Amino acid sequence: MNILVVLRMIPDSAGELQLAEDGRGIDREWLDFQLNDFDDHALEEAILLKEGSGATVTAVAIGEGANRVLQMAAARGADEVIALQTEDDAMISSRTIAATIAATARAKSADLVLCGVQSTEDVFGQLAPYVGALLDWPHVSGTNRVLPDGAGLRVTQERGAGVAVTYEMALPAVLGVQTASKAPRYVSGSKLREASKTPIGRATLEPSGFERSAEIRELRLPTQGGSGEDLGNDAENVADRLVAILAANGLARK
Amino acid sequence: MTGWRARHYVSALANAPKVARFDQPLRRLEGVATAIGLHRKMLRKPLAGVLHAIIFISFFVLFTATIEAFGSRLFPGFSLALVGGETWIAGLQDFFAVLMLIGVGLALYQRYVLRPARFKGSSGSDAAIIYVLIVLIVGSLLFEAAARILGGADGSWRPVASWLAGLLGRIGVPAQETQEICYWLHVGAILAFLVYIPGSKHRHMFLAAPNIYFRNLEPRGAAPAVPRDRENPGVDKLAEFDWKQQLDLLSCTECGRCQAVCPAYAAGLPLSPKMLITDMRDALAAGPSALPLVGGVISEATLWACTTCRACMEECPVEIEHLPKIIDMRRHLVDEGRVSPGLQDALSNLTRLGNSMGKPSKMRARWTRELGFPVKDARSEPVDVLWFVGDYASYDPRVQEITRKVAELLNAAGVDFGILFDAERNSGNDVRRAGEEGLFETLAQSNIDAIGECTFNRIMTTDPHSLNALKNDYRHFGAAFEVLHYTALLAELIQAGKLDLAPVDGGKVTYHDPCYLGRYNGGFDAPRDLIRAAGYTLHDMPRCRENSFCCGAGGGRIWQSDDGVAERPSENRIREALSLGDIDYFVVACPKDKVMYTAAIDALGVADKLKVLDIAELLVPRPTRDTAPEAAGVDII
Repeated sequence: MNILVVLRMIPDSAGELQLAEDGRGIDREWLDFQLNDFDDHALEEAILLKEGSGATVTAVAIGEGANRVLQMAAARGADEVIALQTEDDAMISSRTIAATIAATARAKSADLVLCGVQSTEDVFGQLAPYVGALLDWPHVSGTNRVLPDGAGLRVTQERGAGVAVTYEMALPAVLGVQTASKAPRYVSGSKLREASKTPIGRATLEPSGFERSAEIRELRLPTQGGSGEDLGNDAENVADRLVAILAANGLARK
Repeated sequence: MTGWRARHYVSALANAPKVARFDQPLRRLEGVATAIGLHRKMLRKPLAGVLHAIIFISFFVLFTATIEAFGSRLFPGFSLALVGGETWIAGLQDFFAVLMLIGVGLALYQRYVLRPARFKGSSGSDAAIIYVLIVLIVGSLLFEAAARILGGADGSWRPVASWLAGLLGRIGVPAQETQEICYWLHVGAILAFLVYIPGSKHRHMFLAAPNIYFRNLEPRGAAPAVPRDRENPGVDKLAEFDWKQQLDLLSCTECGRCQAVCPAYAAGLPLSPKMLITDMRDALAAGPSALPLVGGVISEATLWACTTCRACMEECPVEIEHLPKIIDMRRHLVDEGRVSPGLQDALSNLTRLGNSMGKPSKMRARWTRELGFPVKDARSEPVDVLWFVGDYASYDPRVQEITRKVAELLNAAGVDFGILFDAERNSGNDVRRAGEEGLFETLAQSNIDAIGECTFNRIMTTDPHSLNALKNDYRHFGAAFEVLHYTALLAELIQAGKLDLAPVDGGKVTYHDPCYLGRYNGGFDAPRDLIRAAGYTLHDMPRCRENSFCCGAGGGRIWQSDDGVAERPSENRIREALSLGDIDYFVVACPKDKVMYTAAIDALGVADKLKVLDIAELLVPRPTRDTAPEAAGVDII
């Protein structure tokens, strides 16, 4: 099995988001970037499959800090790592990268593409279906367990109300991973240091192939409405204020 | 036979990795002399210390009897009579034989009547066997002498034996036969003892002195680096421990002093420093087995329970080094990715952002915004004091106020100081002790590079953990900084008259010695001087200074869950403070302590009785026109 994993770098949500000058994007210059959590699970699922049935794993990373994350992927067991060059300070749009992911999958003779089910910049989870459509491969999103099953896979997908459904899937396929079968492992500093010598391949972005059907007109940060009150960050005062507010609204008695 | 019984140990030590412990012979000998000659650590427990000293001295005196016993029969004509064997030596033997029996009596009283908890888990049979053997050896010695006196020998130097001879005479036993029986009983018991020693904790009679001699003379705060020729960062086999680490295992006396002071053991966690050593010792004695060392002989839960407070090593009378073993085995776990979710989160955050909280670096110096004056960026202008603030003091809202208080005190004293802003990283002290050597190296190198860009005279830290790393661990990279804790700098400023305090008529307070300030770096007095200078009366807890009891946060414990904890060490400590009576404040000098003890007081519901204050919060500068903080607020960052 040849597995391709997609690793997207997204803005650190602990940072302060500010709009870019044109009001159509986030000012990315002062933000820290981190690996999309779902993609981390996709990587772990790939490594678990490799350990379970001897696959080769190719990791493709996109965005600021890609090299660091690729070293981590190599330390965890990825066989080949590739940094996809994108425009600086541009949002990673699933529409834009899907064609390149599909092309890379073909070039690497991949028979399984794994990516996170969504990211903060793809909350509708479009990457996996896009790639599936471009490759004309079957696709399942929201997986929480992937096991090798003969020549194919046994894939468990999470649905509402705690219902889980299990598919038998033939390869090739594309999966949007929600959680890996096991939590992503810790990779030690000494292994990271060793992996820092891993050669990182380069790939350039291919034209997306999708017709542009809509454009972003305006991006708005959440505005503070009149119904909220900032209680500050002093724990003792906050606790007192909370108790007072709850008491004043008849929700608690002192 | 004794040698044959010890052969496993000899070959284990001979094949163990090397470690340099042969330097500074005089300093090493001096340590042996105070540890054994003066029983320095032994006497911290008076009864145990005195009884051990009695048995110890008596053993040496009575050894002359052993020489006589063997000498006289192996070499006919051999006698100590020429040097006083029948006179003063005989008198000493007579006296010390009785003293030895008194010593054994005290030991019996301690072990079977007082029954201190520290003996829990120690071998009961080892103790019982030695009592029987000593009584046999000494008893037979006395009776042999008595029988000789009964047979006509001079008893004037042996009053006790003479008295016994009287008894024997009254019973009417034959002198010659009794003497013969007692002689062989004596010799037989000694030989039995000799054969028995290598398989028992009484090996320490031979190994305590070498183990103390070969003790670690490096600064207490420097965790041992990974040896260059070791393949993996950690240790997963006993044979991978160097010979001194293995000698430690063989030297353990099972006295349990380490267990009695261990915060993890007191908390009900599955760690006893004593059993850690004896479990590994038994595995070493048993030879190669299928059971792995890490996760087999020693469980993972045992290894993660340690706070690295160093109380066990401070207490051990034979200088056993528990921590290097724990850290080396943790290194193996970390290298294999076997870490708890809490620790994984913290280590991942540290890898990614340089702090355990997962906060952006750019927010590290945000606490300075609410100061009434700007803080210098040490990266862009020279400063006298480079302040290494640390994670908790920078990011934790409960500690930021103290951080600002320290800044105000420095400002009031006219200290020219600056910080590293977003270039500072976690010092790596607890990362290293959690076994993450690779990440520690990355963090340390990053800090050393950042500090190297600055012009300064001294480094001050808020956190004792950072103090320890910068002062001791960073030497591993050739970085020798002059580093001091803020309590030391403030005490110095008061001494020099630069910081003028307005002392209050303060009440009674107690002070908690942080492990990494006190036990590790000897910072016991400056905090106490500051408390007194501020106008408070200090009432120390029973466990203070070197014997301070850890809050439970060190060595990466603060990043892990409290699962399995019966009583948190911090709550145990607050109870100790409450037992002092009328104490107003529980004074601390470590950001983690503020967090830990505030939580403990809340958990115990005693916020009305005791409040946690950092030393900086006690200090109020005397307002003067010169030192009043400038009113003009300058916005920085």
